[in-house]
Amino acid sequence: MTLRRKPARIGRRRSAALLLTLSTAVAGAALAGPGAGVGQASSHREAPLIASDPQVDNTDLYAFSSPDKSDTVTLVANWYPFQEPNGGPNFYPFATDAHYDINIDSQGTGTPDLTYRWTFRNEDRRGDKTFLYNNGVVNNLTDPTLLFRQHYTLQEIRTGHRPVTLVDDAIAAPSNVGKASMPDYGRLRSQATRRLPGGGQTVASQAADPFFLDLRIFDLLYGGNLSETGHNTLNGYNVNTLAIQVPKSALAYRGNATRNPVVGVWSSTERRTMQLSPGKSTPTGPYVQVSRLGNPLVNEAVVPAGLKNAFNALPPSQDHNQPKLVAKVLDPEVPKLVQAIYGIPAPATPRTDLQEIFLTGIAKATGGPLAVDLNSQLLNKDIDKRRFVPAEELRLNMSTPVTAKPNRLGVLGGDFQGFPNGRRMADDVVDIALQALEGATPGHLIQALAAGDGVNGPGRPYTGSFPYIALPFTNAVNQAG
Amino acid sequence: MRRLALIATAAALCAGLAGFAALEDSADPPGPPAPLSAPGGGDRGGPPDMGTVITKLQTGLRQQPADASGWAQLGSAYVEQARLTVDPTLYPKSESALRRSLALQPQHNTAALTGMAGLANARHRFAQARTWADKAVADDPYAWAPYGALNDALTQLGDDPAAQDAVQHMLDLHPSTESFTRASYTLELHGHTAEAAQALQRALEDASSPADVAFCQHYLGELAFNTGHPQQALDHYRRALAADPTYTASLAGSARAEAALGQSDRAVTDYRTAIARVPQPQYVLEFGELLQSLGRDGEARTEYGVLRAEQKLFAANGVVDDLNLGQYQADHGDPELAVTLLTAEWNRRHNVLVADALGWAMHRAGRDAEALPLARQADRLGWRDALLRYHRGVIEQSLGDLAPARTDLAGALAANPHFSPLYAPDARTRLARLQGQR
Repeated sequence: MTLRRKPARIGRRRSAALLLTLSTAVAGAALAGPGAGVGQASSHREAPLIASDPQVDNTDLYAFSSPDKSDTVTLVANWYPFQEPNGGPNFYPFATDAHYDINIDSQGTGTPDLTYRWTFRNEDRRGDKTFLYNNGVVNNLTDPTLLFRQHYTLQEIRTGHRPVTLVDDAIAAPSNVGKASMPDYGRLRSQATRRLPGGGQTVASQAADPFFLDLRIFDLLYGGNLSETGHNTLNGYNVNTLAIQVPKSALAYRGNATRNPVVGVWSSTERRTMQLSPGKSTPTGPYVQVSRLGNPLVNEAVVPAGLKNAFNALPPSQDHNQPKLVAKVLDPEVPKLVQAIYGIPAPATPRTDLQEIFLTGIAKATGGPLAVDLNSQLLNKDIDKRRFVPAEELRLNMSTPVTAKPNRLGVLGGDFQGFPNGRRMADDVVDIALQALEGATPGHLIQALAAGDGVNGPGRPYTGSFPYIALPFTNAVNQAG
Repeated sequence: MRRLALIATAAALCAGLAGFAALEDSADPPGPPAPLSAPGGGDRGGPPDMGTVITKLQTGLRQQPADASGWAQLGSAYVEQARLTVDPTLYPKSESALRRSLALQPQHNTAALTGMAGLANARHRFAQARTWADKAVADDPYAWAPYGALNDALTQLGDDPAAQDAVQHMLDLHPSTESFTRASYTLELHGHTAEAAQALQRALEDASSPADVAFCQHYLGELAFNTGHPQQALDHYRRALAADPTYTASLAGSARAEAALGQSDRAVTDYRTAIARVPQPQYVLEFGELLQSLGRDGEARTEYGVLRAEQKLFAANGVVDDLNLGQYQADHGDPELAVTLLTAEWNRRHNVLVADALGWAMHRAGRDAEALPLARQADRLGWRDALLRYHRGVIEQSLGDLAPARTDLAGALAANPHFSPLYAPDARTRLARLQGQR
């Protein structure tokens, strides 16, 4: 360490004097902005360092038996939060150097037996003449008035098999640039919906962010806010959605959803890196996992502070090797905060019930306290149970019948087709997670928290058919009443 | 009239500064200067601009003053905003916010540690920055942002292998605009210009905010300019401004490219506009040198006066910049003072730019024998920079090493015939004279 000059403490007066000198020197040039701008030398290149990477920011994952097609499962994953509708000619493209993945673990090993992978490319016909994404009304996906569109390929990757291309060069529904340009966005989304070989369908589209919560409950708990989670004042913003509906047999181990009805699901995003090895003419490298998502709110409410980045970088198969993560599941923070703030006693630890909910799935065979056979891969008859490891996944039992009148509290509300048995659009995961962390069981809610966050549904209703997620908002958030 | 405008300006400045008095009271962060032209925002939507981010964070922190994470984000956002608006009075505010975050959450506060590293880099206290970044890396080996701050610090300190390791770590943890831009600079410094451009293209693909798009376009422009393609450079600068009209660096860049293309009047106008918006020392110095090259010495002297005043304000906000000050003094002031300043800087860090600047100051002070080893140090990475090569050529010429002088002066002009309005013509004159001496 070399000795450094101590910086002079700047006083208002001293600055004013300096500024006066400066403006005298500038001799009439109007210095813009408050505070005379004095920057760094050209030699010191200051690159951006704010960790905002919305294109690969995975906000939510849903997995449920399709209410209108009960022999299929629908998987929906959302990326790129806080898209301002009608924010001028804005477009919110998927990244073209990334893998957008939804992973299925049907054997309980924490590794994917099946991955659905979307990759995108741009078709940009704007040239240098315009920055606008359309030069007229867009009634159809293929209209020449749409100057920028994204094409994608969807692959099905099964362990031990070559990747199968399910959809080749399909067109994603564009970002909705406004009612004048795109009078019927629903039509564009329908045109963008593609049938899959072997049954099912898929769509890549913009959508209204279906997540709903009031963050005040977390503010109280954390003495902070969760704005960095991308789950802040969501009403009115859009997201990018990838949705796929497939026959249950496509997901089940050995294709048999009767004998092996449980699957673990997580979404992940990988981006291609580069190697600095000099002299290579194409600086590329392997794909690196930059985000991952299974159960909602786990990274916010369960994963300890120093482990959040590791959690995003590692696969679920590594979770049980992270002693700090397991320790936090067994001894979580939230109940202690609730006890401190509300005086509600925290349940006794270790919280093996939470281990079941988040890491193993709920089943008698897990040896945990929740003596119900609900959604652990250990319920699958054909798997090798010795290979089963605890791993953070959203687990869905595909044999649970579709509930005619869903309860927003899911399993805790006595509706066994809801979260944490998969996740439906209307499951109130904030209230459920809070109740679960407080030790609630089906039919035995923690009354003091029964009001939860007071927000019980999304800002815009989801729909009754695929992809279920609502069409994008079109009014700018800042003007929304 | 002019006098009145001046007083009004100073008053406005002081009023503006008063707004910075206390972190807790300040509700209005400095917005970017109003754009000259408004082509309807950026090329993409995405995250709000930094001013909006800052306002939101401040609002949240008024409601939740114990939010350690919020304070860390605010502190980093101030540094980012200072980078974009070139306003050093944001640094003390950044430091208060970051220290408050660390006081609230001393353990596992990677974001605040990274923020402190970023702030130290912005203030050119690179050894401090390295210390903070090392702490952050130790705290969370999977966090990628600390490696960015670490790479910045190590690059400036001249620890090139470690700097390259840091950026590779960052790339392996989180390939993104932040890591690709740093990769590009590392590649450029090592003379891999084509790969540097490819890395910037990757950074551009991943950029989601107008400011980041502008950053990538701007440095693609810089690469084009530095390799002797002023028209391509101008195209990139214009794309940067189309994405973010407030990205003043590209207005100054446009001026530099226009000067190289012989459009002096346009260059003068653009420099004036850029400096009126953001009086970056670099623009002021470039503009002064352009005016000098046009024979407008009086106006050039005015610009150099601005520069000296700025450097005082700079120091008052805790920024150490002996490099910038030394470069100016070597060419336009007191070479002996330049040697003193740059020797101090060289004792702090063995970066190639400092080696070049100190070598050049030595030459200007008549100490060519000491200058040459430094000029050779500046070449140690293989960076293809015309000005560096010109400096070396002139030093060699002064020492009577005529063959290498010819090679280096010709090399400088081959790399970029327009590297400086003042020194490129001088390089041509010298080369002609040397070729006459064969």
